[in-house]
Amino acid sequence: MIGKAAAGGVVETAVILIVAAALWFAPAFAGDYWLQIGFRALIYLSLAEGWNLMAGSAGLVSLGASCFVGLGAYVVFGLLNKLDMPPPLALALAAAAGGALAAFVSPALFRLRGLYFTVGTLALAELLRLTMINVSLFGGATGIFLAQDPPDLPALFHCALVVAFLASLAITFCARTRASVILRAVRDDEDAAAQMGVRPFRVKLAAFALASAISAMAGGVQAIKLGAIEPYGIFGLQWSIDVLSMAIIGGVGLRLGPLVGVIFVIALGELLADYPEAHVAIAGVILIVLIRFAPRGVVGLVAYQKLASRRPATA
Amino acid sequence: MPDIGVALSTIASGVLLGGILALTALGLSIVLGVMRLVNLAHGEFLVLGAYAGLFFLQFTGVDPLLGLPVIALLLAAFAIPLYRWLLQPLADRGPEAQMMTMFAVSIILQNLFVLAFSADTRSIARDYAALPLTLGPITVPLIYLIGFAISVIAILIVNWVVSSTAFGRDLRASAADAEAAATMGVDVKSVRMLTFALGVACAGMGGALIGAAFQFGPSSGGAYLLNSLAVVVLGGLGNVLGTLAGGLVLGALQSLGGLTLGDGYRDLVGMALFLAVLAFRPDGFLARGRP
Repeated sequence: MIGKAAAGGVVETAVILIVAAALWFAPAFAGDYWLQIGFRALIYLSLAEGWNLMAGSAGLVSLGASCFVGLGAYVVFGLLNKLDMPPPLALALAAAAGGALAAFVSPALFRLRGLYFTVGTLALAELLRLTMINVSLFGGATGIFLAQDPPDLPALFHCALVVAFLASLAITFCARTRASVILRAVRDDEDAAAQMGVRPFRVKLAAFALASAISAMAGGVQAIKLGAIEPYGIFGLQWSIDVLSMAIIGGVGLRLGPLVGVIFVIALGELLADYPEAHVAIAGVILIVLIRFAPRGVVGLVAYQKLASRRPATA
Repeated sequence: MPDIGVALSTIASGVLLGGILALTALGLSIVLGVMRLVNLAHGEFLVLGAYAGLFFLQFTGVDPLLGLPVIALLLAAFAIPLYRWLLQPLADRGPEAQMMTMFAVSIILQNLFVLAFSADTRSIARDYAALPLTLGPITVPLIYLIGFAISVIAILIVNWVVSSTAFGRDLRASAADAEAAATMGVDVKSVRMLTFALGVACAGMGGALIGAAFQFGPSSGGAYLLNSLAVVVLGGLGNVLGTLAGGLVLGALQSLGGLTLGDGYRDLVGMALFLAVLAFRPDGFLARGRP
C-alpha cells in the first residue's frame, strides 16, 4: 500500500517536472494573450493548491487567501523598494512572512473548530487591509508603486511557473507520503487522531503555514506584475472567493481538483467577457448548479461516471 | 483632547448605531446558530431591505419605518423558496456547500441590483432623518435614536419568540443537536426554513433602517457582512440578547476608536476586537466559559 503510494508519488513528481519543463518554453510560442491567461492560471493554481491542502486534507476552510496574497505583495514591495533586494530572495522572504503570520495567528484561529476558522481568516484579511489603509508607512489608501521597472511578460510567466511548480511539488509530497494519512486523520476526527498520538495542532499548523507561504509568494509575483498595489485590490475579498470557488468547482480534496477548477473558472470568465453586464450573475448560477449536482466538483463528476460505466452492475 | 460634548455625542451615536448593527447581525447570528451556515449573502439581504424600504416609500407614500413589518414579510417570502430550492438539498453536505451557494446568491443579487436599480448610491430621504436631537451636552441624529428604538423592540420580540414559544423551543433544540431534536419529533427541516426566513427578515428590517440613516448602493453589502460577523462573534453564536450587547459594545468602541485615533480607525478597532474575542473568548464576551 505504502509502496504503491510512493511509486505513484514518483510518477506524479515526474509528470509535474515534465509539464513544468514544457511550459517553460511556452513564451517562445505563445502570444501575449495566452501568456497573460497562463500567468493568471498559474497564480490561481498555486493559491488553489494551498487551499485544497488545507480544506481537503486538514479540514480548514479558509476565506483568507487575500490576507496572504496581500501580505506577500507588501513584503515583496518593501524589500524591493527599500533594500533593493533581488526578486527571488524577496519572494522567498515573502513566503517566510506568510508562514510566520500563519503560525502567529493559529493559536487564535484553531481555538475552535470549523466555522470559526473560516470567519477568523475573513476578519484577519480585513484587519490587515484596514491597517495598510490607515498606516501611512505602508502607503495608506493609495498604496505603493514599485520603484524598479517590472520585468517583461515572459519573465513574469516564468516566475509564476516556478511558484506553481513549487506549490505542486509540495502538495504532491503531502499527498503521497505518510503526511497525507496524518492530515486526513486530523480532518476526519481530531480527537481520535490525538488518541493515536498525532498532534492535531501541529498538523493543522503545518498545512496552514505551507498554504500561507505559497499564497504569499504568489501574491508577491502578482504584485510585481501589477507594478503598483493598493489595499482595496490586493486584500480584496475577491481573491479568497475566487480561490474557494475554483477549488470547490474542481473538487475539494481531489489531486486534480484545483487544476481543473482554475481552468474551468478562467475559461468561463473569458467566454463571458463579451457579456460584462451579466457575467457575474451567470457565473453565480453555474456555481450553484455545480455545487448542487456535482458534489465532488468537475473532477469528481468525471471520475464517478468512469467508475459507473466500468461497473454497470453494481452502480 | 476633543470637547467633552463632542466626545459624549460621538459615543452616544456609536451606542445607538450599535443597536441597529445588532438587529442586522441578529439575522446572521440565528442562521449561524441553527443552520451552522455563514450566510455570505447576508449583506445583500440587508441591501435588499434598504431597496424595499426605498420603493415602499415611493409607491405607497407610507413611511418605510411604519412599513417595516411589510418589508420583513416580503423578505421572509423571498427567503423561503431560496431555502427550499437552494439550501435544503445541500443540508447534509457539510457547511461549505451551503456557504458557497449563498456566496453565489450574493454575487447574483449584486449583479441584479446593478441591472435593476443602476449602480447609483441612494438613500431613503426622510426629512426627519437629518434632524439633530439635543439632550444636555449630547447631540445625536434623530434617526439614530429612532433606529435604535425600533431595533431594540425588534430584538426583544425575536428574543421572546426564541425563548418562549413552541417554535422557539424547536429552534433551540435544533441548534443544540439537530439529530436528537429530529428523534424527539421536531420537524428540523421546517424549523430551519423558518429560521432562515426570520434571519433574512431581520436583515431586511435592519437594512431598511440603515437605508434611512446612510447611503447605500448595490455593493454596500460586503462591509455590513463583516460588521455583522464582528457583532455575532462578540455576542456569542445564536445568543439573541448577547447579539444586542455585542452590537452596543462594538458601536461604542468603534466610536471611541474613531474619536481617539482618527476616523479611519473605526473599522480597524472593530476588526481587532473581533479577532481578540475570537482568540480569547470564542463563545462571546458574555460567555461564562465553556463546559
